[in-house]
Amino acid sequence: MSRLETRELVIDVPRRDDGRALSLSLEPGQVWGVLGPNGAGKTTLLHTLAGLRPPRRGEVRLAGQPLASLARRQVAQRLGLVFQDSQDGFPATVRETALIGRHPWLSPWQMEGGADLRLAEAALSRLDVGHLADRLVSTLSGGERQRLAIATILTQAPRLWLADEPTNHLDLHHQTAVMSLLTEQAAQGRAVMMCLHDLNLAARWCDQLLLMYPDGEACWGLGADMLVPSALERLYSQRLATAEIDGAPVFVPVR
Amino acid sequence: MSSRALSVTLATLALWAGGGLLGTVAAEVCVTDDADREVCLEAAAERIATLSPGATELTFAAGAGDKVVAVVSYSDYPPEAKEVASVGSHTRMDLEALVTLRPDLVIGWVTGNPAEQLETIEALGIPVFYIEPRDIEGVASAIERLAQLAGTGQAGSVAAEDFREGMARLAADYRDVAPVSVFYQVWDEPLMSVNDEHLIGQVVAICGGVNVFGGLSRLVPRIDDEAVLAADPEAIIAGGMGEENRHWLTHWEQYDDLTAVTRDNLFFVPPSLIQRPTPRLLEGSRLLCEKLEVARGRR
Amino acid sequence: MRQLSLPLGVLLSASLISLVLSISVGSASVALPELWSVLGGGGEALSRTLILELRLPRSLSAFAVGGLLAVAGALMQVLLRNPLADPYVLGLYGGAAVGALAAMLASMGGLVISGSAFAGALASTLLVFGLAHGTGSWTPSRLLLTGVVVAAGWGAVITLMLALSPADRLPGMLYWLMGDLAYARSPWPSLALLLVICLLLIPLGRSLNVLARGPMQAAALGVAVRPLEWSIYIVASLLTAMAVTAAGSIGFVGLVVPHMLRLLLGNDQRLILPACALAGGTLLVLADTLARTLIAPEQLPVGVITALLGVPTFLYLLYRSR
Repeated sequence: MSRLETRELVIDVPRRDDGRALSLSLEPGQVWGVLGPNGAGKTTLLHTLAGLRPPRRGEVRLAGQPLASLARRQVAQRLGLVFQDSQDGFPATVRETALIGRHPWLSPWQMEGGADLRLAEAALSRLDVGHLADRLVSTLSGGERQRLAIATILTQAPRLWLADEPTNHLDLHHQTAVMSLLTEQAAQGRAVMMCLHDLNLAARWCDQLLLMYPDGEACWGLGADMLVPSALERLYSQRLATAEIDGAPVFVPVR
Repeated sequence: MSSRALSVTLATLALWAGGGLLGTVAAEVCVTDDADREVCLEAAAERIATLSPGATELTFAAGAGDKVVAVVSYSDYPPEAKEVASVGSHTRMDLEALVTLRPDLVIGWVTGNPAEQLETIEALGIPVFYIEPRDIEGVASAIERLAQLAGTGQAGSVAAEDFREGMARLAADYRDVAPVSVFYQVWDEPLMSVNDEHLIGQVVAICGGVNVFGGLSRLVPRIDDEAVLAADPEAIIAGGMGEENRHWLTHWEQYDDLTAVTRDNLFFVPPSLIQRPTPRLLEGSRLLCEKLEVARGRR
Repeated sequence: MRQLSLPLGVLLSASLISLVLSISVGSASVALPELWSVLGGGGEALSRTLILELRLPRSLSAFAVGGLLAVAGALMQVLLRNPLADPYVLGLYGGAAVGALAAMLASMGGLVISGSAFAGALASTLLVFGLAHGTGSWTPSRLLLTGVVVAAGWGAVITLMLALSPADRLPGMLYWLMGDLAYARSPWPSLALLLVICLLLIPLGRSLNVLARGPMQAAALGVAVRPLEWSIYIVASLLTAMAVTAAGSIGFVGLVVPHMLRLLLGNDQRLILPACALAGGTLLVLADTLARTLIAPEQLPVGVITALLGVPTFLYLLYRSR
């Protein structure tokens, strides 16, 4: 029930010709990494998969049904999106912000109940921002805001996670914590797809990879198959030195 | 008495008696106001509220001054009016104060009072009589009609007739004189004048003046200095901010080529004598005619 | 999560107290026992007139208009995600004024004038929405900018209409523009609209909370963003149009009441919106009571009082919240 499938999907990047049609599927238990340089369309892809942007061609199917035919509320119950930048909205506390993750589950006339509150509090603690529950969001640091955004999706408890650079602004400890959380979600039968800037994080934590080239070209498959140094060098237009540390490849840009 | 007259008399008596039996009382006083409505009172008004300074003056002139129980601000003439309780400004009246004074007749101003407040007053069962004199006869008629409503018909007739005769005499005196071109200044910023339809424009015509802006379509047209220079009136007459303030006239002295300036035909007429549609208009008209006569003398 | 009932209960009591105060006080004094008997159905005719036919309708109008403006202001602030938004920021007042003045120029009666004002306000809404659309979709800043420009445009049209109108129409037009609770007619349409809208906004409250966090985020959480924004805009326009038609443009209430309440009660729209209705109504009732009694029989414009009351209160709350 948490299967996201694309059929000949061509995303709409303004002022760029059609890229390669993507036909891939996000299965429960998988952790996908989306790699590519700036401007390749990673964010556009995620927003298209979430139904926030229309594709140029092709379609996205969620649990077998065309995404376009589903009501937004239904989509939100199955799919959660962690945005790259937290938008500055009206003032709210950390707890209130996490709680809006419950919105897709509550009818308009319902108030948030004890169970919803507990979910939110648990999510906040898990992301190590529980102690900030009563603070205004505007007073948080970048890293804390990022963790709050993830906590909100955790409160939403979707079957499918789409995360746009979830480790932005996070220190090493929290980066690892977040990646562990996401892989744990997959291990529990959910599907995860995340855009990552950090090639090495992708190499270590993702089992499937999608490489998006700036000209629209793309290739995808098992992580091990995708982590070919020449392909990666072409992807980033950057020479890389490869090593293996602790069972996973590590790529270092060289002069 | 002919049989026809007898039957009419009997019929009238029958109606009277029948009316009495049914308990209806025929209205005693019915007068048409300036909004073309017929206002009927059961008896002559005893407590009158006047909602504009002009209405106050007219009511006093009609001989009903001691029946006025409420006025609005700036009701400064006659001096007795200043002793009467005020119910605020004519643009925003204190209806509570008005109602507490228990008026049985309210004299309203068609375009000057807020329609919503007058409607509220009527909704409370207080009759409203609108006046808005637009010509000489209108002023006289207003006095007579107010007198009718107040039961002071005699005094009102006298005042109205005095006014009519005075204006008629002025018109006769100045009927055949040489015309003088006039610019009457109503306001300085923005510069405003009057056309021939305006009451003041009518007075100018009576005095043998030719209003240089008389032909314009708006009652109070807004013009500029250039228009005045182009028209080059022989005489400039201004009201002013107050009764003594003549400084609008000094503005024109900078234009040496203006005929009115070279002949020193810059005249001041106190605004309250000419800008209000009341009996004092006669005094103001006489003044205006005299000024124009002075202008003729300087040719 | 804050309890809704306590703050709303307090505000409701404040509203009732302000209404009672308002009908007890006026430029004519009515003794308390007399007031009591009037409310009980008896009392002298004069007292009955004063209280039931003058003070009560006016106080109810003041309450309704205050509530309408405060709720409209709160909605505009959420819609535009801008704490400086007020009900008039999108040119609604200008549109209503042009509609009303045009009806006056055409010698129409009171009901047509009000209807025309209403239509003008809604036309302005559609105009701003349409113009702000442009090539892409509209953003709050685009909407705000378009609204400010359209408002200025209406201002010019109004000035033109005043300059060209015949002299006898002019005072009436100016009174409409000055606007005042002294000119308010029946309070029942305004009260009815306020009640209906408040009920309608209850199920939308949480969606508004989510929308206030940002439209992309809201969409991702299942909010139908565009339809919701359209609805809020139409509702806010309706509320403002009704308020302006009833009592002209009364400033300050729509800007400051939502703010004050947010400082005190937080940001849950489910609490803020009904609280705005009650608090806005209370503020305007008190302000209007002062406006008509402070220097009686002279009547002050109520906007002056709302500013004098609201500014220090707001500054104090802002100071304390730091």
